Amino acid sequence: MTDATDLVPDRRIVFVAGSGRSGTSLMAGILRELGFHVPQPEVTADPTNPKGFAEPQWVVDYHARLLRAARVHPSDARPSAWFETGKFLNRLRARNALERWLGQQLEISTDLVVKDPRLIWFLPIWQQCASELGARTAVVTMLRDPTEVVVSKQRSYGGRLTTTSRTAGWLNLMFYTERSTRDANRAFVRYSDLLEDWTSVVADLGDRLNQPVIIGATSSAMRAAHNFVDPGLRRSPSGWDQLEVPLRLRELADEVSGALDRLADDPSDADAQQRMDAARVGYSALYEEAEGIALSSILAAGSPNVRRRADGQPVTDPSGAEQEADGLADSDDSLASSDRAALSAVDPPTGPERAIDRFVHRIPHRYRERIPVGLRAKLRRNAVGEREDR
Amino acid sequence: MSSPGQMANREQRHDFDVHWSWAEGPTPHGMTAVLRVKNEARSLPFALPPLIRAVDRIIVVDNGSDDGTPELATELAERHGASDRFEVRSYPFSVSRCGPEHLHTPPDSLHSLAYFYNWSFSGVRTSYSLKWDGDMVLTEIGVKALRTLNWQLEPVDVVVIIPRHPLYVADEKTAYFDFEYINLEPFIFPNGPEYTYVKAFDWELRMLPEETRWLRMQQGLQFELKWLDADEFDHWSSTDFDKSNRTLRKRREVEVIDALVAGRDIPGITRIDAPPGRHVVDYVRTEWMDRLPRPIVHSVPPEEDAGPTGEENA
Repeated sequence: MTDATDLVPDRRIVFVAGSGRSGTSLMAGILRELGFHVPQPEVTADPTNPKGFAEPQWVVDYHARLLRAARVHPSDARPSAWFETGKFLNRLRARNALERWLGQQLEISTDLVVKDPRLIWFLPIWQQCASELGARTAVVTMLRDPTEVVVSKQRSYGGRLTTTSRTAGWLNLMFYTERSTRDANRAFVRYSDLLEDWTSVVADLGDRLNQPVIIGATSSAMRAAHNFVDPGLRRSPSGWDQLEVPLRLRELADEVSGALDRLADDPSDADAQQRMDAARVGYSALYEEAEGIALSSILAAGSPNVRRRADGQPVTDPSGAEQEADGLADSDDSLASSDRAALSAVDPPTGPERAIDRFVHRIPHRYRERIPVGLRAKLRRNAVGEREDR
Repeated sequence: MSSPGQMANREQRHDFDVHWSWAEGPTPHGMTAVLRVKNEARSLPFALPPLIRAVDRIIVVDNGSDDGTPELATELAERHGASDRFEVRSYPFSVSRCGPEHLHTPPDSLHSLAYFYNWSFSGVRTSYSLKWDGDMVLTEIGVKALRTLNWQLEPVDVVVIIPRHPLYVADEKTAYFDFEYINLEPFIFPNGPEYTYVKAFDWELRMLPEETRWLRMQQGLQFELKWLDADEFDHWSSTDFDKSNRTLRKRREVEVIDALVAGRDIPGITRIDAPPGRHVVDYVRTEWMDRLPRPIVHSVPPEEDAGPTGEENA
């Protein structure tokens, strides 16, 4: 008798996660060549990734919109940023937009690979939508030495982010990538292993994640994958010597790198998970400490993006910070009108609502807090009109 | 370090680096058969003589035989007047068996099937190579067809599939032929940088250019000997062939061998008895198969790496 859990669902989605410049494009591209469908159109290749990103343009646009609405940067180093992006799981319109698009893609192919470095910020939404559409999901997270990632990002993106900021961003991303996939059908893959011999790595993935497309790959598909893998790809020199990063951050990055390396061998390694938990707590404390130390600088800079919360703590708003040049396209023009309508609920305040916000924030909090909450909400609704799902 | 035209191995055995002949300049037209063999002394007397008549040159790469295979190959070449176009090379490293063992072997290792194949074929100094095994036997029609094809290929670059039948040999007098299964696999390749070997999941894989032109030859040109008293799967590290369609052929072979060894009938299998004084393999090669109505196998299964559908048929 067949156990129901042994049955392979007809629809499968593989999410490729990990920091940018960790080989996510390479992995997604190999899976595409082996037979997975990358929803079209894809982000156009550029000099930082000449063989293409294997990223669906719609997904990039969708994530960029949500990140902007959440005021979260793709490489955001704030532990609290995960809460901000996590809110969208409860936004009906955000889910509906994704579910509608995902349903269309699953009609085109029963086996999808979806990759975008921003995806991990919204993985729970993807998982829920996939589940509602009867698709089984798996998450492949690419691992690369953090110093190589930072060096590669500096070289490819340049910009204002410092090596320290990029290292912190890597830590934050990897902490929560690992944490958010513990209940998932997951695998961690070392970029160096993929470069060394993609065949053994990917065949192993096929078995571990039970992916028929990989298991049954034809010779033609394997030839295509060999053609896709650029033999010129090599590991960058690694090591902290070439980077100016505070010692405590380096130690945390090394610790996390070591724990993730263990998870590449066994994704449910309990000891490695405990090490990740401990390092995550340490990082949060370090970040809070750094925020406190840097507060004067932030205030002195007079950034319009710095506000104070009701409790007097600073809130940094990185929405005005640089956007990494890793395929980001954030224009309304790239979305269908129906998608624009669906996503309007997750846009940052605009028009009259923004004007109301500005006005309200000029009123000192000590006066505002005397107005009952219900009355405040009613006044706002009357002023800007009710919006669903916010 | 590897560069176009040469490959180094991770074991740093530079005396076994791969140096492709095409990197040294244009190769003259012709076809070289490359046989990678290990303990094929029983099959070679059937396989080698017709092959000597069909191609321009033959390279036998011996991989650690202890049954006199390289000596026998040399003797057969001499006996058939082919010493001047015949070469035996030795590859003294253990090579990973197909399946998981291969999968876990780095492609640039001396123990990798892909590296072994590249080293073996790098010695080809003609414009085409023919990948052959020590237990593959050309029929008389097959010899003529290959000789004809050889000159037809001169102005073109084509990858050629030669359908292969299995012949299950019980003893000198008795064999079994499978009318339900045929293997479709490319055996003839142009010799050049676009046709080197890479590692695939179960075994090696020959790369092909994007615009490959294919030719599928007719059935009945060759068969592969399967000795029922030998372990026909000893070059596999796992005999779990149910996992993918890539090993469909192996699945069928296991099914047939198990049935024949157990004395069970199996649909599609026909018994062949040799006439008195004839070895059954020789009989099948020179008479029996050539007389079969075509096509021999009506239902051609979906086959791994059989080229695109609708390829040219000879």
